[in-house]
Amino acid sequence: MKDLFIKLAKIDRRYIFLLIAVAVILPFLMPLNFPTRATSHTKSVFDIIETIPPENNPILISFEYGPSTMPECHPMAYAILRHAFARRVRVIGITLSADAAGLGEEALQRIAKEYDRKYGRDYVFLGFKPGVTAVMLSIGEDLKRTFPRDFYGKPTSEIPMLDSVHNYTQIPLVVPLTGSATATFWLVYAGARYHARVADGVTAVIAAELYPYIQTKQLAGLLAGLKGASEYEHLIYRAGYTKTKGQASRGMDALSIMHLVIIAFIILGNIGFFLSRRAPRKGDQA
Amino acid sequence: MIPMDTVWTWIAALLTLAIFSFLYKDNPFYKFAEHLFVGVSAAYTLVILYYNSFVPNLIVPLFREHNYWFIIPGLLGLLFFARFIPKLGFLILFPIAFTIGGYAGLSIGPGLQARLLKQLQGSMLHPADFADPGLLINKLIVLVGILGTMLYFYFSKEHKGILKVATNIGIWFIMVGFGAAFGYTVMARASLLIGRVQFLLTDWLHLIR
Amino acid sequence: MIGLVAGLFFTIQFFIPHQEVRQLYADGLRWLIVVATFAIVLALGSLITRHTRKVQRQEKGWGYSMVTLVALLGMAIAGFSTGTRPGTLFNKLFLHVQAPMQSTMFGILAFYIASAAYRAFRARSKEATLLLLAAFLLMLSAVSFISYYIPYVTTVSEWLLMVPNLAAQRGILFGVFLGTLATSIKIILGIERGWMGGGK
Repeated sequence: MKDLFIKLAKIDRRYIFLLIAVAVILPFLMPLNFPTRATSHTKSVFDIIETIPPENNPILISFEYGPSTMPECHPMAYAILRHAFARRVRVIGITLSADAAGLGEEALQRIAKEYDRKYGRDYVFLGFKPGVTAVMLSIGEDLKRTFPRDFYGKPTSEIPMLDSVHNYTQIPLVVPLTGSATATFWLVYAGARYHARVADGVTAVIAAELYPYIQTKQLAGLLAGLKGASEYEHLIYRAGYTKTKGQASRGMDALSIMHLVIIAFIILGNIGFFLSRRAPRKGDQA
Repeated sequence: MIPMDTVWTWIAALLTLAIFSFLYKDNPFYKFAEHLFVGVSAAYTLVILYYNSFVPNLIVPLFREHNYWFIIPGLLGLLFFARFIPKLGFLILFPIAFTIGGYAGLSIGPGLQARLLKQLQGSMLHPADFADPGLLINKLIVLVGILGTMLYFYFSKEHKGILKVATNIGIWFIMVGFGAAFGYTVMARASLLIGRVQFLLTDWLHLIR
Repeated sequence: MIGLVAGLFFTIQFFIPHQEVRQLYADGLRWLIVVATFAIVLALGSLITRHTRKVQRQEKGWGYSMVTLVALLGMAIAGFSTGTRPGTLFNKLFLHVQAPMQSTMFGILAFYIASAAYRAFRARSKEATLLLLAAFLLMLSAVSFISYYIPYVTTVSEWLLMVPNLAAQRGILFGVFLGTLATSIKIILGIERGWMGGGK
């Protein structure tokens, strides 16, 4: 038994890769439909958007993820946009990362079409601006001066929805969707300086770092990773804003199985480790 | 006639598999895909920068709004390219100084407020906390943990005696923090893989709806 | 001097609510954005130079550098000629060439993290065991049916995140911020000149 575990500990890693591939593919071919329960941080974001009056001041969504973090953040974007458009809450889309411009636009156009929302009246996409912190601070002074034109080249002064929007004072919620440190920059620059209300949608990698800001209420809510996205999809599905659960919910089966496989690997690896550390018994000596 | 959407999906799928082939071993398909990616992404950034930043923030203010003060940042930016002229290479220090000095200055005020003062405020015990024993215990644990963590990174004095006890407590808290970070990292990386598999099974092979 | 003036201005403006200063500050931010744009273009220029040199000298792997340059040129031509709107060649290349490859490059990390967890994640000491247990609990809470049917797992992992993890993250946050503050002040005052490239 001990030899088996020691042998297993030295197995070629390509067998491990194969097991992982099977663990991810099988739940898609044989859906398990595991139930989901939303955490309080996810529910906070949902509750805030629920209280925003329709066809009034817009929320600001900052698409700051690229293709490398898309599987976690894009479903969040879809879910939040579905919630906003279903309630006729207006949306301003911006991006502080060049990679995200195409993705942000795709999300806005696709979900707006689902709910029959009109560009310029219900949503606007202002595109990419480099400078990160400088842009966050500049929006606090004057949004239209920071983005003199939208993504398509139209002057922002001519967009009806932005007539009464000057800075964060007219924006009830800022939702950065990001996989980087900009999640905290929004709290520091927009939150501290201009008292903007910020709720982050982040990849799981940086979620653990944000808990100090949740405790001080600098962060109004948090969507953490694919699980956070699936929790939000579950909330909007239950509230009747969408007829189908989204992409993240479909991926949760595979995520759950993969986690169980990795937990099993860690346990097996440690069993092998402890067995190989045990001192040999007297009878074993030749 | 094959629809263009199908062609594009196949291109995306084959490039995905080329990258995955690295798991078996490094090979020419992976290298080709890797270099293709570098070229495409560099040009993407350039084009997006031009339309979304260069034109509205420099071309329009200068040539349409006739705000000639913008010549200054324009010239400063151009000085970055002095790097390619050996005798004038030192000129790059001007735009770097402006950028670094500017961003350093920008970070001080908001950082003090959000990262230091607000966080200190959140760490302190409030008289109202004493009414809830559970909350009080948690806040005391947090306080002990913060002090232990900060003391762990204090290297100006040897860690012995009472300081060693405090730093050992700090290590426990740091280990829990790192464990939490690892757990979340596993979720993050798994999600990225799931995203790709979802694409291959749904959009390419149509095995799932 | 430029660094000192820029740094001092952007520091002090935070404390002055006067309208004229706010206007100057707003303009200064736009200037920073413009200069930042050029910095990114410079990085791209360095990439082109490196690969061109490799092709010119026919160094090992120059064929792949050729692929990079052709891809860069093709994408740039597509972008500047057709624009960036949905449906354009540029947009299609982004969605079907760049995005899939970028996602996949990060996706393969999942395999390596699983392999590392199996081969290297060992409870060699009390501290390592604590790390392992914390990670274990968090991963369990990420399993949908476990967190749904055993809410205690979610409660414990939430406590772990909101108390000990928070303490560690906040302690590290204080340390990092104080270090950043000191470095920022040193840069503005010219005491820290490492960014100048080693000169006095």
